[in-house]
Amino acid sequence: MSEVLDLAGKRLVICLGPGGVGKTTIGAAVALEAAVSGRAVDVMTIDPAPRLLDTLGLQIGPATPQEVPLTSLKARSGGRLRALRLDPKRMFDRLIERYAPSPAAREAILGDRIYRGLSNALAGVADYMAGELLLELHLEGAADLIVLDTPPASEAIDFLDAPRRMLELLSSRALGLLGASRDLARKPLGIFDFAARAVLAAFDRLSGVHLLPDVQAFVRRLEGMYAGFAERASQVQTLIREPTSVLILVATAEPQRVEQTREFVSSLDRLGLRPGGLIINRVMPPLPGFDEIQRTRLPAPLKHKLQRNLADFSALKARESAWLQTLKELTPDGVPMLVAEDLGSEPNTLRDLVRIARSLRAAG
Amino acid sequence: MTLPHLSLVTGKGGTGKSTVAAALALVLANHGETVLADLDQRGTAARLLGVDLDTRGHCSVAANLDVRSFSPRAELEAFIERIVPIKIISRRMLRSHTFGYVTAALPGLEAFLMLERLRQLADEAANRNGFVVIDGPATGTVLELLSVSPGVRDLAPSGTLNRLARSVDEFLQSPSRFGVLLTARPERLAVREALDALGTLRDQLMIGSAMAILNGVPEQLLSQSDYAKIHGLGDHRRLALQRKATCELAARAQGQFDRAGVEVIELPMLYTPEFARPQLEILASVLESFQKEQAEKGVNPHSR
Repeated sequence: MSEVLDLAGKRLVICLGPGGVGKTTIGAAVALEAAVSGRAVDVMTIDPAPRLLDTLGLQIGPATPQEVPLTSLKARSGGRLRALRLDPKRMFDRLIERYAPSPAAREAILGDRIYRGLSNALAGVADYMAGELLLELHLEGAADLIVLDTPPASEAIDFLDAPRRMLELLSSRALGLLGASRDLARKPLGIFDFAARAVLAAFDRLSGVHLLPDVQAFVRRLEGMYAGFAERASQVQTLIREPTSVLILVATAEPQRVEQTREFVSSLDRLGLRPGGLIINRVMPPLPGFDEIQRTRLPAPLKHKLQRNLADFSALKARESAWLQTLKELTPDGVPMLVAEDLGSEPNTLRDLVRIARSLRAAG
Repeated sequence: MTLPHLSLVTGKGGTGKSTVAAALALVLANHGETVLADLDQRGTAARLLGVDLDTRGHCSVAANLDVRSFSPRAELEAFIERIVPIKIISRRMLRSHTFGYVTAALPGLEAFLMLERLRQLADEAANRNGFVVIDGPATGTVLELLSVSPGVRDLAPSGTLNRLARSVDEFLQSPSRFGVLLTARPERLAVREALDALGTLRDQLMIGSAMAILNGVPEQLLSQSDYAKIHGLGDHRRLALQRKATCELAARAQGQFDRAGVEVIELPMLYTPEFARPQLEILASVLESFQKEQAEKGVNPHSR
């Protein structure tokens, strides 16, 4: 079995990669296989498109864990799988509920215009909330393996970086500037903070948003919750870096995906993170030879068609080989790699997913 | 020419957004000054055209074709610089954490300013009788981007932003100025996501013009009776059947788009050992002939 998929002793798998490489499917397959082999697994997608639940045969539903029936798959005892989809808005509400110092404070926040806008704006908040949900599952302790699918491209790095950014925000002067208690502000207000205030005031006047008082009120309402937020953010950061956590990069041997994978590798490096493995997905299986066609007794026109078909696929294979080579070259030394063959069809059933997982194992 | 002045190309990851955007830009450059722009600063479409963007994210491909890169962040910075004209202060602002927090508290502002930028680009293109092609982000991001304006109107009941929001809405709903091209491959999930997205564009966002591009449609080689004859040919049969399955998925997708009342262009699967400028030109010629057909019929292919 490939080192990439040796998940014994692992408790968290994070699948990263560009969009369209089959990350979601691989995450689901890995989770399902682990469940069938007797582990209690939670698989979670933070991709707003509910693709994963779809593949797992679950309807688009509330963002609570849904049990995936494994009865037809002869799972070993103890094996179970729950799938869930992140709803950032709901997650944010839950966070507020947890840390609000009083019911009145909680209601004030949940009804706040800025808060509603902030929690609805998916970018950034979604990444942070994914970390929250991950932490919640982790602390709940019901699963002995959590598999996390991430949104495509640069956003996946955003996810890994979200806790740090939240910590940075919480320790910055922004909060002091915008009206939180002065003891949170690490430094006294300087000229540029006044400038910032001036910008906000100018923005209000010109834009018609009348934002400044609202932002100040919002920040004041959040007071008393910062410590909780910061604590959670740093826990997520720690969790991602545990030795029992593994980041799996998924890629395909296509030009754009290869470029994006290169960016992923360097972003991970910048964050001081190291991928635990690279799965190159949907690689064409080996092609048969031309001589087999020649040896048959088929009519000549049909032979020509088969030869043409083989030539077509050979051209694609050549294109792919070049990109495969590039991918191998950009992978950091010592990162195990797994080349997964294209199985020719999209998974429609749980059995398909198990088949994908088994072929991944066989590939190693 | 009947294509809108600005076409936004989007689709699921891996469906060939940049390829389609670059091919379309080649076609439009034959009819007027054309700008191909990406919003992610990766310069993918530029690389397909065989050029690299300079440090400002610009590049000229041909007399009539420029490639450029835009980023929401840069638009936001430009906006702040307009409001705070003292450069030294605005620059320090832009680097501070405070600023990051302010923008976080203004949800959708970056996206909105990006839309406003697209509107300006389309107007400029209309004035010189030219075109803009946007190599856009993935479908989900584009739908979020296009739905940001009502939120801004809500946030700013009057004033500059409110006026901008109304002009952005008007722009998005004008088939001569704005259109969305949704790329898909002959795969079940990709096609269904494209259909869902087209529904959202038309019914919820009131986008006047949206069409689908079905990318990578293979030419059918074997006839039905051929398959019966190659039973003993294991792997060759598998390859033939794989091709057949893709052809069938393409036909099925075509039917689904038809039933949904969505115009669709099929682009052929190109079986070549590399994909570069010559292959792009082939796809461009397919788009061009579709364009001619539509022009002869005298319809805007984007609006139905």
